[in-house]
Amino acid sequence: MIRRARHLPEQRLYDCYYAERTGEAIDPRTAEHLADCSACGARYTEISRFLDALRAEGDAESQDAFTAERLQAQQQQIARRLEHVGHLARVISFPAQLVRRSISSTTAPTAPRWIAAAAAAGLFVGVALGASYEWDWRNQFARPVLTGDANVRLSPIATRGSGSNDVAADDAFLSELELALDRPRTRELIAYDALTPHVRGVRDQR
Amino acid sequence: MSGELRPAHDVARGPEPESGVGSGPSKRRGPAAPLSQDSRLAIEIRGLVESGLHDEARERFGELVAMHQRRASRIAYQYLRDVADADEAVQDAFVKVFTHISTYREAWPFEVWFTRILINGCLDRRKARSRRDRWTVGAELSSADEARFSAANGPPDPERRLLARERRARMAAAVDRLDGRQRLVFMLCHYGDCTPREVSAMTGLNESTVRVHLFRAARKLRGLLGGKP
Repeated sequence: MIRRARHLPEQRLYDCYYAERTGEAIDPRTAEHLADCSACGARYTEISRFLDALRAEGDAESQDAFTAERLQAQQQQIARRLEHVGHLARVISFPAQLVRRSISSTTAPTAPRWIAAAAAAGLFVGVALGASYEWDWRNQFARPVLTGDANVRLSPIATRGSGSNDVAADDAFLSELELALDRPRTRELIAYDALTPHVRGVRDQR
Repeated sequence: MSGELRPAHDVARGPEPESGVGSGPSKRRGPAAPLSQDSRLAIEIRGLVESGLHDEARERFGELVAMHQRRASRIAYQYLRDVADADEAVQDAFVKVFTHISTYREAWPFEVWFTRILINGCLDRRKARSRRDRWTVGAELSSADEARFSAANGPPDPERRLLARERRARMAAAVDRLDGRQRLVFMLCHYGDCTPREVSAMTGLNESTVRVHLFRAARKLRGLLGGKP
C-alpha cells in the first residue's frame, strides 16, 4: 500500500506560485502532490487567484499612470540628461565691457550727488506739505470741537430760532464755512461748488 | 533594518556583500547562467564609454532604457505611489547607471544591478517624503494624476474610477503595513518579477530568508485584504 503524503504547507504553495510565474523549476514531488491532492490543489488555486488579482490590479494601476506617451517622454528626458554626462562644465564668458561696468558700478564708494540732492529735496517738500495740511486740518475741524458745544454746532437747523445764543452759534458756523470756502479752490471741485448753495445766499435769505 | 538595501552613497557599486546585511551572497553563488541580452548590452556600453565613444554609448543605452523602462516604472510606482516621484526615480536610476557603467561587473545580471540602484533611489525618496510629510499635508492624488488617469481610462466613469481608486488605496495601505523587508521582497518578487535568488543578490539576504519574507508578506496581505484584492 502506498502511503499518501501529508498536505503541503502553505509556504510551499506560495513558493510554487512564484516559481511558476518567474519560470523557475517546480519541485517535482510538489507538482505531483498538487496534481493528486484535490484539497491542496484547491488551496493552490485560491492562492493563485488572489495573487494574480493583486498583480493584475497593480499592473493596471501602473499602466494607467505610465501611459505610452509618458514612457516616451521619460525616454527623451533620460536622453537629454545623458547628453550632459561626460561633458566638462562650460564657463560662459561675459563681455568684458559689461563686466567692467557692472564691477565699477557696484564698487563705487558713493552714489552720484544729484541722487542725494533729490532725496533731500523730496524729504523737505514732503515734510512741508505734511505740516501745512496738518495745520489746515486743525484749523478746520479741531478748533470747533475743542472750543465749543459740539451738539449745537453740528445741528444748527434743528435748533434754529430757538434763542439768541443759537442764532449766534449758527452765524459762527456759517462764517467758518465761509472761511473754508475762501481758501484756494481745487479745480476738480468747482463743478460741485456750483451745484451746492452758497453761504452768502443762505444768509441773504434769512 | 527596515528594508534598506545599503547606504545611498554606495548605490552604484554593485551587489557585493555589505556590512551588516546578511552574510553576503557572493560567498554562495557565482555567475552560473549565461549572460542575458541586457547584460551583454551593458558590457558593450561599458566598453564604448571606456573608449571615449560617449555618443555611441548613449545611443546603445537607449535600448537598455527601452528594455527596462516599464518594469522599472512599475516597481517605482508601487513603491512610491506617486507618478511624478516614480518617474524621477526611474530617470535618476538610469542616469546613475550610465554614469557608473564602468563599475558594472558581469558577475551579476544587469537587471539585478539596475534594480538595486532603482530600489535604493526609491528608498531614499520614501525617507525624504516621510521627513517632508511630518510638516506638510499632501493630497492623496494630485490633480495632474487624476487628469492622467481619466485620460488613460477613456470616457469618464465616476463610479468605476471611484471603486478602482478605493480598491487601490486599500491595497496600498495593506502593502504599507508590511514590515520593511517583507515589503521590499514582496515588491521585487511580485511587481518586479524577480526570483528569490535575484532578490537575494540585490539585498544580500539569504535566499531562504527571502522566501520566508515573501511567504509572510503574501500571507499577511491576504489576511489584511480578506482573501481578495
